[in-house]
Amino acid sequence: MKVKEFMTTKLEYVDGDRSVYDAIEKMVDRRIRSVLVRLPGKEAGLGVITARDMVFKVFAKGMDPRTVKASEIASKPLVCIDQETTFDEAVKLMESSGVARLFVCDHHGIVGVVALLDVMAASLIMRARGDHVSP
Amino acid sequence: MFLRRFLSKGSKEDEVIKDMAHHIDLLCSACKEMHEAIEKDDRSLARRVLDLERDGDAVRREIISHVYEGAFLPYLRPDLCRFVEIVDSIFDLLQETATHYLDVILPEQLRRDCVQIAFLNAGACEMLHISFEAMLRGEDLREKSLAIRIYEKKIDDMKFSLIRDMRGLPVGNFWEGKTLSDFISGLTSISDIIEDAGDHLEIIHLSIK
Repeated sequence: MKVKEFMTTKLEYVDGDRSVYDAIEKMVDRRIRSVLVRLPGKEAGLGVITARDMVFKVFAKGMDPRTVKASEIASKPLVCIDQETTFDEAVKLMESSGVARLFVCDHHGIVGVVALLDVMAASLIMRARGDHVSP
Repeated sequence: MFLRRFLSKGSKEDEVIKDMAHHIDLLCSACKEMHEAIEKDDRSLARRVLDLERDGDAVRREIISHVYEGAFLPYLRPDLCRFVEIVDSIFDLLQETATHYLDVILPEQLRRDCVQIAFLNAGACEMLHISFEAMLRGEDLREKSLAIRIYEKKIDDMKFSLIRDMRGLPVGNFWEGKTLSDFISGLTSISDIIEDAGDHLEIIHLSIK
């Protein structure tokens, strides 16, 4: 199975100078588990914020999500893969790079994301199909 | 095969089982054509869906008449017919969606999601076929049912943001907007009925255990 078959195409962005609270609102409203952050200034590019970042980098430290900027807690750089990457390759890359989500990119930019839950869903579909699952 | 060995004594049953598999096969082809039609923006492929729906209708009539002629034990007949009717209602919704696609002006910003949803519909349908074959062999359907539900859930996740994005788009007139809305609504509801069909297969499976 290739990642284009099980990636999530729902992507949301927030500007890096917006607050973490803005990112939280987006995640709640859109029922998503991560938000892409447009990084400002010299580091221009993209980062990502997940619920994990919000909990450990903001709430657990007693910080106010309204005053912390999204760019301050965004993880970067993103790990990108091609749409044609296989399931096995994606899982190995996740494991070796220690990330829970891979971004699927083409020449237009990011077209999808593969998170652990997507990998689990793909594994279950492959099992049901009788395909070999061996990441 | 389990179902055949357990319940069938003659050629009528064999005919019904063969036709039911063919019915689901046609449905899978229709889902794939729908996906390709949207991906390649080829309306002629959407017309193929309409042809396949007519073929599916003919197969459904064959199955029902064979069942009423006395195929299978009486207690099983209503459930088999119900399953065939559910598959038929998937065909109907696909046909309706394909008809809307012939007229719709699909905004480019929605196309990628529509292609993905049509692809997931085809995956769910393939899983229904796998599930049916597994039922005939008497295998456990639990993992297959979960896989169908995963496809349905993925589509459900995309449905609301797609509808929200659609609401923000300008439309030329009432009918343009209605056609787009009906198309999206149909495309995102197909997997719900595939899930119902998968659930019904489990009921049949349980009833013959």
